[in-house]
Amino acid sequence: MDQDLPQDQELIRRMLAGDERAFESFFNAYFPRLYRFALPRLNGDVEATRDVVQATLAKAMRKMSDFRGESGLFTWVCQICRREVVDHIRARRRHTRNVVLIDDLPDVRRAIESIEAPEEYDLVRAHGRGEVARLVRSVLDRLPSNYGDALEWKYMEGRSVEEIGERLGIGTTAAQSLLARARAAFREALERVFGADAADIAGSLGA
Amino acid sequence: MHDDDIERVLKAAGPREQPPAEIERELRESLRREWLAVVAERRGRRRTAVALAAGVMAATVGAWIAVPQITAPAPAVGTIAQVSGELRVRSGWLGRWQPGGDGRVVTEGEILATGPSARGALALAGGISARLDQDTQLRVAAADRLVIDRGAIYVDAGIESAAAAPLEIVTPTGSVRHLGTQYEVRVLDDGLRLRVREGRIEWHSGGTSATGVAGEELTIGADGSVGRGPVAIHGEAWDWAMQAAPAIDIEGLPLAGFLGWAARELGCRIEFSTQETEREAAGVILHGTVAGLPPARALEAVFATTRLRAVVLDGRILVSTRE
Repeated sequence: MDQDLPQDQELIRRMLAGDERAFESFFNAYFPRLYRFALPRLNGDVEATRDVVQATLAKAMRKMSDFRGESGLFTWVCQICRREVVDHIRARRRHTRNVVLIDDLPDVRRAIESIEAPEEYDLVRAHGRGEVARLVRSVLDRLPSNYGDALEWKYMEGRSVEEIGERLGIGTTAAQSLLARARAAFREALERVFGADAADIAGSLGA
Repeated sequence: MHDDDIERVLKAAGPREQPPAEIERELRESLRREWLAVVAERRGRRRTAVALAAGVMAATVGAWIAVPQITAPAPAVGTIAQVSGELRVRSGWLGRWQPGGDGRVVTEGEILATGPSARGALALAGGISARLDQDTQLRVAAADRLVIDRGAIYVDAGIESAAAAPLEIVTPTGSVRHLGTQYEVRVLDDGLRLRVREGRIEWHSGGTSATGVAGEELTIGADGSVGRGPVAIHGEAWDWAMQAAPAIDIEGLPLAGFLGWAARELGCRIEFSTQETEREAAGVILHGTVAGLPPARALEAVFATTRLRAVVLDGRILVSTRE
């Protein structure tokens, strides 16, 4: 679902050139998403999550020149994070059980990463509303940068298009356009991951 | 297509969890150091490669230059964006004072001092502008922490937003953090004076804290007592910070962009006399330079080249057409 590969490459080029604003953009865009990616995989252990996220982003920055754009930057960072989670659990042995998330089930992971819908698979029945709600939030994190934030600000916090534009440092017209693209990307992503439209998913979540 | 289904599914899923602010601050700084090390290492490698191509002797020198950068990359925290008069910099308390000019990189641990007729501005991470008044000395303790020993500092953290970069100003009378965006911290002989132009700031010392909002002046006594009073968000109270404002590059800039900058620097809002005037202003692209001019003078200089007129009055920039 990473649709901004040219932007990823440009961001990396600027970071490696020492552009401070590029570092800030990278950190602001990826740190919260990666934190949310790692936290449930480490049983909600905040300290362990901090260590793993730090190690992941440090490793990502050191290997950045090797990034070839075969996947999106966030997908690439998540792959590093998965290995860090495994290493952390092995090294610390602080977790008594290996956490397997719904996101990591082969069908779901493939759907998230390569946009293929799992067929004939009722996620709500199999995993419960809580996990499905978390998966919806994961989908938001996998949308191109700013889309997830813009959707949350608009539909959960009730912010106006003008406010969203101000927050993103863009004009009102550009914010309207971004919201339209964000809605389309979110609908498409939900259908590919869940094999159902937004209305059906909302219904299955009891909304 | 209605957006109702999007709203329902988002509300049913609930908000995404935000990482704790403390962890975010900690990781931002540690990763910034990691990133600077990566950049320094790459530059060192590049330099070494060039040196090797030039010959054995040159390669030796190139590697010698590169080694300190690989092993101890300078933790750069910003640059000097504007200097008027003499601004001096030294690397820690044992370093030697050196002149600090425009564009000089400022690193962690360095101390900056302005003389009795000097002012300066720093461009820090996250778009923060920090301006030093005359007779000011401060130490850059970290990318997000400035320790001011004497004088005054004006901070502009950019357009108010939840994502504003964190910055702590440490003074002999407690610390100040911005929750908003434009404010002045002045060290007094017997305490501290805080003036808030936009947004909010929070002062704390030990177990005591106080919040100041836009248009408010807080006087903190050496004993921690807090006095409050009003301060105009435009006018002479902020003149020195305007004098120290970094120059704006106007070449190719729309007039609207320049007006936005001037309004922010002057603490004013923009008013057009008519919609026609606003439309005319929207079509103007600027050329040339206003380097060295403080905002009010830059405003005069720029508008003198257009068919429009700008007058600063009672916290407003009034834009009209010349008759």
